[in-house]
Amino acid sequence: MANATAATNTGTSASAVNNSNKLETRRLCALTFFAKLHPGDVCGSNGLPLTPNSIAILGRSQRLKQLQHANLCQYLDVVRGKHERTIVVSEYVGHTLEEHVKRHANTPLSNTQLLRIFYQVAKALDVLHAHKLVVHNLEPRHILIEQQQQLEQVKLFNYGLHHMTKGGAYVPFPLGNVRYMAPERLLGANGSIKSDVWSWGMLLLEQLLHVELWPRLKLSNIAWKLLAFVRSNSSSGGGALVLEKIAREHQRWEMYQELPHELRHLLERCLSVLPAQRPLPSELLQHKCFADAAEMLQVASEHQQLEQLPLLLRCPLAQIYHLWQLAGGDVQAELKKEGLIRSEAPILALPQIVRLSGSSVCPPRSQSYLMDERIVLLKLQPLLQRLSRLPASVYFPLLQSQPRRQQQQQQQQDLQQQLPLLIRERDIEYQFRRVRLFTRLLHGFPHTADQLQREAAIDIPPLLRGPVWAALLGVLPNASYAKIDKFTATTTDRQIEVDIPRCHQYDELLSSPDGHRKLKRLLKAWVTAHPQYVYWQGLDSLTAPFLYLNFNNEELAFLSLFRFIPKYLQWFFLKDNSAIIKEYLSKFSQLSAFHEPLLAQHLSSINFIPELFAIPWFLTMFSHVFPLHKILHLWDKLMLGDSSYPLFIGIAILKQLKSTLLSSGFNECILLFSDLPDIVMENCVIESQKMYECTPKSITHRQHALRTQAPHVLDIGLAEVELQHLQSEQCPRISAKDVYQLLQQAPNELALIDLRSVVEYSRVHVPHSINIPFATVLLGEQRLEALNVPYLEAQLRGRIVVCVSNIHQHAVEFSHFLVACGVLRTCILHKGFNVLHSIEPNILISN
Amino acid sequence: METTRTVNFVYAYKDHAGKDCEAKLDVKFPFEDESLEELVTQLLAQMDPMMRYLDEDVNLEKKLQAFIDIEHQKFLDDYAEKLINQAANEELDLEAIVRNTERLYKEELLQFADRVGPSDEDIFAQSFHRLVHSTSLEDILKRERGYAKVIADMTELMDNEVESLNNSQQQEMDSQINQLDITTTSEDINNLLAQQYTTQNFVRKRYESELEAMMGHQKNEYRNWITSQVSQMFQVSPVSTPLGNRSSMFVSQQPSMEESFTIHLGSQLKHMHNIRILSANVTDLCSPLHAEESLNGLNMALGLYSSSLCGVVVLTPSIQAQANKSIIKNANRSTEFHFDQMDVQLEKIEKQIRALNSSDTSSTRSNGSGNSGEGSANSSPAKQSVPKLKTGDFFITKHSNLSQSHVIFHLISDEPINSPSEINSRHPVILGLRNILKTASRHDITTLTIPALLRHEMSEDMTVQWCIRRAELVFKCAKGFMIESASWGGAELSTLQLLLPHDISEELFTTLAGMVPNVFRVANPKILVDNNK
Repeated sequence: MANATAATNTGTSASAVNNSNKLETRRLCALTFFAKLHPGDVCGSNGLPLTPNSIAILGRSQRLKQLQHANLCQYLDVVRGKHERTIVVSEYVGHTLEEHVKRHANTPLSNTQLLRIFYQVAKALDVLHAHKLVVHNLEPRHILIEQQQQLEQVKLFNYGLHHMTKGGAYVPFPLGNVRYMAPERLLGANGSIKSDVWSWGMLLLEQLLHVELWPRLKLSNIAWKLLAFVRSNSSSGGGALVLEKIAREHQRWEMYQELPHELRHLLERCLSVLPAQRPLPSELLQHKCFADAAEMLQVASEHQQLEQLPLLLRCPLAQIYHLWQLAGGDVQAELKKEGLIRSEAPILALPQIVRLSGSSVCPPRSQSYLMDERIVLLKLQPLLQRLSRLPASVYFPLLQSQPRRQQQQQQQQDLQQQLPLLIRERDIEYQFRRVRLFTRLLHGFPHTADQLQREAAIDIPPLLRGPVWAALLGVLPNASYAKIDKFTATTTDRQIEVDIPRCHQYDELLSSPDGHRKLKRLLKAWVTAHPQYVYWQGLDSLTAPFLYLNFNNEELAFLSLFRFIPKYLQWFFLKDNSAIIKEYLSKFSQLSAFHEPLLAQHLSSINFIPELFAIPWFLTMFSHVFPLHKILHLWDKLMLGDSSYPLFIGIAILKQLKSTLLSSGFNECILLFSDLPDIVMENCVIESQKMYECTPKSITHRQHALRTQAPHVLDIGLAEVELQHLQSEQCPRISAKDVYQLLQQAPNELALIDLRSVVEYSRVHVPHSINIPFATVLLGEQRLEALNVPYLEAQLRGRIVVCVSNIHQHAVEFSHFLVACGVLRTCILHKGFNVLHSIEPNILISN
Repeated sequence: METTRTVNFVYAYKDHAGKDCEAKLDVKFPFEDESLEELVTQLLAQMDPMMRYLDEDVNLEKKLQAFIDIEHQKFLDDYAEKLINQAANEELDLEAIVRNTERLYKEELLQFADRVGPSDEDIFAQSFHRLVHSTSLEDILKRERGYAKVIADMTELMDNEVESLNNSQQQEMDSQINQLDITTTSEDINNLLAQQYTTQNFVRKRYESELEAMMGHQKNEYRNWITSQVSQMFQVSPVSTPLGNRSSMFVSQQPSMEESFTIHLGSQLKHMHNIRILSANVTDLCSPLHAEESLNGLNMALGLYSSSLCGVVVLTPSIQAQANKSIIKNANRSTEFHFDQMDVQLEKIEKQIRALNSSDTSSTRSNGSGNSGEGSANSSPAKQSVPKLKTGDFFITKHSNLSQSHVIFHLISDEPINSPSEINSRHPVILGLRNILKTASRHDITTLTIPALLRHEMSEDMTVQWCIRRAELVFKCAKGFMIESASWGGAELSTLQLLLPHDISEELFTTLAGMVPNVFRVANPKILVDNNK
């Protein structure tokens, strides 16, 4: 089987040798296995069902994606299939050591070459050891070699299996090739890098002697051989005996003795039966044998010229993989094609008897559930071709480039931007441009903050959402997260422990044990960092999107949260937050009356107040009520707006449910909101954006919002509007400043209703304002026609209607009347007509 | 042997006043899941809070890291050395170690496993599935119908003959009885009875063996034919629907009463499911496939080897592996081409129960009294040796010749017929139901019918109140299990059918159907609005 893949590999690369040898050497590959099933029904210590092992693997493997080193194949993705299947996608270069030896069958590899190769393997081991990882499945198939001019570039492959499966605990199959396995591993020791050093020594010995170790022995016999070393060597413990035995067994004793003394000494140490006598990888690197190899590689890396790689392959692998997926790449389909995922009729595998006790009678397990160590190469060629037409400026966009050429691109982009977001997110070429552009912008952050903001307003590429959000929130990592105490027990621990296993658990990352641990750390860190605040339930949901996006970068997640909360939820996490929440919800009511008067009217008439449903919405910025994929799109826009933006999202949700709500009574409404129905997020985002843009800033004024600038004289000042006003007035107040601005810039969007008497009106008034003396109005009849003003409805439609009076109460009552009539966007001038006198230059005229 | 070891770490430092201080901590090895940062925090907590601001943690972390690196490696080395010494001194069973290693590699790694080719069943499944998704579908169905006709005719013939024999024997008996004490004695009558019985038995046996032979013949012929068809197919078109594709079974038979709902489950991410509540006889859901001209044959054939199977839960008492009589009869109305005839399946299952009982007597005996509940309440200790499943256990039969079910779950329930009892969510039958859902999820059964009252027949004692309580329990448990199933990582249940007894009153049906939207969250209708208006 291994030979079969080997044959195909050599076949493909041989044919491609002429034109694109370089191309074909950098590839992606996938391998797959089944995680162990939990036997029967077992519960964890917290009484909840156990997490499936495949999820635990997924969580653990995230860490591996972070590893980037010249001698390690990068991990790109771990996918969870049906029925506990796990698929690992990783980088793959060149060919295996096995093939490399075969290619050089005529001219055996010289010792210098071998040392160069194994030096790099030792380097990989050293890096892994520094990360507290072990390999435990070191064998020729997992050492990949790419020939670069005279040198071999070596990368270790599939080294993370031990870590992601927690030392093999999560999978039914054993790890490692017995032939190269250290004896103590057979006896049950697990997790020591010294075992890998043994394997390294065995591999090196095998290559130096130009033999295959025990080629025809059965597995059990090899195991016996290894155990025999243990028995015979216990007294001396040295590797010399082991080596002699192996060399003599393979008739290579003379050859072994011809090896340089130092090398023999090194091998002897590596193959000591007692691990304590084996060197650590760092000691291997320091060994004299490798002095030449190290120097050569050092020189080579210094003189490395820019390779003649296609532009795409110079991009980070994670981006290439992302694009490969967008281009229609489907790992599962590729595995199926190669027969690594075999479909079998499910009906044939049904058990015959299942008992409550957990025992069952099943037909014999099909062999398709066994671990198949073959790998499948994922072809990048179609992707390369697809993107080869793009000019280099797309691969490496210039941020401050000349405007003319951009214009043309701009037009093209504008066209694409009219497409729905979901389509844009799946358009490979579009995403490619965006990803490259944002990569550049992020490199330049914070100097590119403005440009980033502009581009993010169009859309945010999903691949880079985490860092882009952080940039939008103005996060600059400063290592402060590491200093926060995340471990000392506090009083909120219990609540956090209860909340975490209930927080977005449908998501694989967040439901993995690693996800739980990380979320707990983040929450505790936030609580510790804010002694003035307390942990309110909902903080977990609020944190979840940030953790989801920055799973491998807790600090970024924490800092994003750290900036996010004051921006949108200032003071919400006080121990007594009732005043803040009350003000927020009153503002929400006012704004719904402003944008949806009829709906607001109906809801208040059935007494369905926001307190009953909207607190979790705003306290968690909707992350408690929507699934993650919807929150991401929602927050994409939220990040760009100010603290009032969430209010409009709330209204957009109400708007979407309008017809249902209008026809429902109190009980139906409660039921409907107890489990929010499916909301179409794209419409919601567009609606809220529209409302946000057409609402003057002062309308959304809240006392408790975070303020970065001192208010203008004509603004609504601090502490000028009290909670009781907010609660008693159905319509929001507008500041004189906004009225003035509207008068100056867009008089067509404004309708001023002057409620003073005719006399006062004739003395002085705002041009084009409508005079409806409050004294003449009968508020009993709730129809606009009752006012007897010609074309009033037409004059108000589509405009912001500002009620102005000397007497505040008049304006309030009249605005209520307008809302009852269903007039959109009604508001009251803050401080009444007299404030208009203070505007300079004067805007008032008299008849 | 020690598997962990604790080593004390001492950190010496100078505090802000320049005084020499120490912080100590016990560190446990092997150092695996703990975090370095956590230990640093613990050590810092022993110090003056000022030290944190003096960045003492940086140095501390470095020291602690080095300490842990060394100690961790030392621990591992010692541990391995101990093992090695033990092995050298023959304290470990090396034989067993080698055996286990070999077994593990052989059983779990394809590379070392003894390769077995696909079984006949697999090959047949492949071929059939391929054929069914080709133009030969029509031929297959025609052939199946033809075969079914033959068997049905034979069964009918048998039934007729047995009945006429019965009639004639009855007449004979009647005349004899009339003559009792005149010309015949009771002994004569007994003799006659015995004789009649033997004849009847003989006739029946003759037919049965004939049927069996015919079925065997048909099955052979059919399977050979399928295989031959496929080899022809191979030369023509290589494309086909892959095994385990999705298929859906549409029900063409209208039961007496039914109502359907679409529901959403899950708090944030919603999964959509269909719920159908219907009143029907459970045997109607397992009626013979080719009895009438309908689409059922097509459905069955397309779905059989797909990954969207249909299952039915049938309650059965715990007397051995006994299935519902009429279902067996239905299954015997035609040849089972894909699996064993149902009788054979049941026989095999019974054999396995016996094997299972003998293998885990110890475990069942220990908790037998505890969880068997009502199931074994009436069974005396002497009876316990009889192989028997308990309440909540179930066995599975597979069918290709029944109308709406590929799979029948025979769930053991010993609820006495005329005394409805109260059960709670921890009752073995409910737990059995959960196991069924779990099995369904693991084996791609996406349509499942469960008896909503855990009863197939109405009885007089089942009051409206009782029915409402029982239905509510089953609904709620089913909902809970469905929510749970999202994390099982198997196939999602697309349709759950709640089956009510066929003789339920219309009123009660309406009441119970009305409960569905209250228990399950019914999806809101999607209203499409033209945004341009």
